[in-house]
Amino acid sequence: MSDLLFFTEVTLAGLGSGALLALTALAFVLIYKATRVINLAVGEMLMLGGYLFFAFAAGLGLPAFAAIPLAVAGGGLVGAIVERGLIRPMLGENPISVFMVTIGLGSVLVGLVELVWGTDPRALPAFMGTTPVFIGEAYVSRKIAIAFVVAAVVIAVFLTLFRFWRGGVALRATATDQAAAYSCGINVPGVFSLAWIVGCGTAAGAGVLLGSIGGISPAMGVFGLSALVVVIVGGLDSVAGALVGGLVIGLIEAWAGTYLGGEYKLVTTFGLLLVALMIRPYGLFGTTEIERL
Amino acid sequence: MFGITRRTLIALSASAAIATSLPAAAADDIVIGGSIPLTGVFAFAGIGIEAGMQDYIKILNEAGGIQGRKVRLAYEDTGYKVDASVAVFNKLTSQDEIHLYYGDSTGFAKTINGELDRLGSIMMAGASFATELNDPKAFPHQFMAGPDYSEMTGILLEYIAKEKPGAKIVLVNSDTEFGRDPIAATKARAGELGLEVVEEIITPPTAVDVSTEVLKLRRARPDYTIFHGYVLAPLPEFMSQAKQLGLETKFMGTFWSMDSSIWAKVGEAADGFMGVMPYRYYYDEAGDAPMLDRIREMRPEYQSTPYMQGFLTAMLFTEAAKRTLEAGKELNGTNLKAALNSIENFDTGGIIGVPISIPGNSIPVGRIYRYDASAQKMQPASDWISVQE
Repeated sequence: MSDLLFFTEVTLAGLGSGALLALTALAFVLIYKATRVINLAVGEMLMLGGYLFFAFAAGLGLPAFAAIPLAVAGGGLVGAIVERGLIRPMLGENPISVFMVTIGLGSVLVGLVELVWGTDPRALPAFMGTTPVFIGEAYVSRKIAIAFVVAAVVIAVFLTLFRFWRGGVALRATATDQAAAYSCGINVPGVFSLAWIVGCGTAAGAGVLLGSIGGISPAMGVFGLSALVVVIVGGLDSVAGALVGGLVIGLIEAWAGTYLGGEYKLVTTFGLLLVALMIRPYGLFGTTEIERL
Repeated sequence: MFGITRRTLIALSASAAIATSLPAAAADDIVIGGSIPLTGVFAFAGIGIEAGMQDYIKILNEAGGIQGRKVRLAYEDTGYKVDASVAVFNKLTSQDEIHLYYGDSTGFAKTINGELDRLGSIMMAGASFATELNDPKAFPHQFMAGPDYSEMTGILLEYIAKEKPGAKIVLVNSDTEFGRDPIAATKARAGELGLEVVEEIITPPTAVDVSTEVLKLRRARPDYTIFHGYVLAPLPEFMSQAKQLGLETKFMGTFWSMDSSIWAKVGEAADGFMGVMPYRYYYDEAGDAPMLDRIREMRPEYQSTPYMQGFLTAMLFTEAAKRTLEAGKELNGTNLKAALNSIENFDTGGIIGVPISIPGNSIPVGRIYRYDASAQKMQPASDWISVQE
């Protein structure tokens, strides 16, 4: 096999896993963009999404086309409950306090999942097929190819919504200036709820994709930390930044893992994070003024 | 009056009721302490380990205990964090007189080793099979109820060398202390046996997607791929992608990735996965395994491989205590370890398929099993292999 073909395959694999990172990063961005809350429980929401899919598909025996929307909706529902029950009462509090609430929420979700489904790692029912995908001569893992397409479509939809849909514009307006948004008649609490519902639903969807690749376990939420790097590089409040950041980090991890060795993957990723923060502290595409925690 | 209000009286009588309802703990109980992970990344193992230890202790106590003394397990959850394990150790050892202790990780075993040496009163075993711990000079009061990780891969290599002399091997290890443990020893042993390690793949601990690693595997085209440092993920994904690419390689693992109920949940893709197991499986109906019959009687549903590990560890703990007391010696780390090391050709009731001896810190025996997806069981693929030097 030629080195060029191998390089192409590695690059495609990197783009695919980068897309998964981008999708998870999107959950951080959606919530931060509207509410200025960094939701550290995104990883655990993702895990919950994987388990909900497992419950619907393996437990109730529903087909994937029904189980996936239900898992995403379940994630959204949990997002709505969390926003209404935990986050809204904290409005106006110190951002650190809200941040800590989301850390606690993550632990609670892990505990609940361990109580309901136990602690064994599990595999999700296969729903993506097994025929390998070839682009030209280059092999791409089927699941990674699907994840890439899903992430690309979802992100494109969000970019369009933020640009043209009234609700999207309301969200941007709320993010820019809450008081002004109120005075224009925008239902700011409604926007907050919407952001949490959509953000958590997205995380749950990413959890289904991730779980179908790597299986599910209560500890799979650590993936959220890798996605946090993506949003810091891409910009905490930029949807496009999540996409570009995800793809860049996916590519760099793939190249570093292949040509330097797997042990260099994280070193390279976090090295890149440091460099990115030194050059553009607010991320590649982020708004210049962001809160520091 | 003594100033006792009605409320105080109710509180006092309630606490008295609670105190009397607790199981009686006699002063001469032999207490096994335990830092056991019941939550966190290693919880699946901790839950099985605790159940296995409790069951063996129950069997032993029903048969009269050790010289009439009952055995009891005192343990707390650690979440698989070294600092929590140390805190639990300090708490339990200050509450009870403890001479036997179960630790949950390599990190804890190394951290607490100095304290074990200083105290001199405790012998410890645990969930770690780290090669480093298999050194009676550096870890005089510890042992492991099975082969160390290098001995495990050594057993796999013995099998490979017999099945396919000169085979090409790829090592896949997680980038953790656990994962990296046997790499050097495996490479050295492979060389001695005339096997060729053609590629080493290291995966970050958080790795989920392994597409790039599978590409490396395809380039190397090995006959066997040995995983170490994982429980389940990302093994199934490796296997299903390799299958998609038409790779012929056989996949193998070590003890912590050998539980058959975990592979049963993976389904068809798990078929053919092989690995080394120091113990028999719950469903093994071998004629010389009365202890497995007993376990099935106590628990009609499948028990995991960590259960067997906990069960055997409790058996060895109490055997060492029994031998120490029978020799009229005091229960302390040195005497217990000497008694453990006196174990020779010991029958484990069939938990391990051959009689065992423990001259050092490990039991370097294991057997190769292969997962059969249609039967949803691990089936023996070799006889018991000993790598005792």
